[in-house]
Amino acid sequence: MTEKTMEHLILIILSMLVAFGPRFIPLRIFSTRDIPRWFNEWMKYVPVSLFTALVVKDVFIDTSAGYVFTGIHNMAKIIASLIVIVVAYRSRSMGLSVVLGLVAVTLLAMVFTV
Amino acid sequence: MKKEEPRWLEVLKIALPLCLSYIPIGLACGILLNVAGFNVILTGLVSILVFSGGAQFLLASMLTANAPMHTVLIMLFFLELRYALLGSSISQYLRNTSKKFLYIFAVSLNDENYAVNYLKFATDKSWTPKDALMVEHYSLIFWTFANIVGSLIGNLLSVDLAIVDYALTALFIYMIVMQVANKLTIVVSFVAAVFAIISMVVLKSTMGLVVSTLLASFVGFVTEDYLVKRGKKRGFLLKKIKPKASRSVISKSGDN
Repeated sequence: MTEKTMEHLILIILSMLVAFGPRFIPLRIFSTRDIPRWFNEWMKYVPVSLFTALVVKDVFIDTSAGYVFTGIHNMAKIIASLIVIVVAYRSRSMGLSVVLGLVAVTLLAMVFTV
Repeated sequence: MKKEEPRWLEVLKIALPLCLSYIPIGLACGILLNVAGFNVILTGLVSILVFSGGAQFLLASMLTANAPMHTVLIMLFFLELRYALLGSSISQYLRNTSKKFLYIFAVSLNDENYAVNYLKFATDKSWTPKDALMVEHYSLIFWTFANIVGSLIGNLLSVDLAIVDYALTALFIYMIVMQVANKLTIVVSFVAAVFAIISMVVLKSTMGLVVSTLLASFVGFVTEDYLVKRGKKRGFLLKKIKPKASRSVISKSGDN
């Protein structure tokens, strides 16, 4: 085993621990006692807020330049995202949305900046 | 309704759209991990142990950028922090299960199988924690397989990383669209977008994702609470939006 592989293996194990904690601890706490109603109502809006933030990060933020807002610079991704919204709404198919999104961004990248 | 079908097959049919959509994303992820220097075994291992599209894409892009290990881990932690929120929202359906079950369930919980399971728990009374775990494991198998294949073909062809990376964004957009239940959800999404841009530019890290998520979801919660108390449950913002196509596959048995 090379030194690089060993390092990657350690990284994977640490990543697993980092990923496991947030998944397990709330499950453990809230499956034995009641979740307050307000908390549940709040959590209802968490997925949509988080996914939006992640999309915005990819489409509108340049992380390699130190988190700079790029506006409409990534035109290919902006247009592809609009296409994915329509496809997802119409088909409600995850696979189709992802595949058409990838096709769209590939084609658009020939014309616009990614 | 036929009842002879074995349960594992019924559950597989429900999980299949998710599993199939993991193939292109998993391939993309496997290719990126290969570029980042992971061999096939490590790629398989990370797919099983971490099992998170977002985390694996992040690992790949940060390793490619030669980020130090502690930075990678801190970023991962913030990215994975959202599972705390997903976990607490699904925990109400996992009462009366053993500690060991919760442990196994938590290991392979992720965004997508959470979405399928949450919808099933909410719409189908016969959906059990065991079924939910089965969905997790089906998706895990497809995900790992696709990653391994991606890692193998990554050796053979060169790809534009910015484009392959977009698979994950398309996936998140799909999940946003699936979450839209009323106009308020759309408003919350726009609020989240604005908060996300501001907080990421100010904090210069993915911590901005956590901050904007907490703020935007809180705005949604407070607004809904206000509207419900004012008796506007059927008003403009909270009226249910009917999807154009039916959710035929995921909530098949919940519809009638």
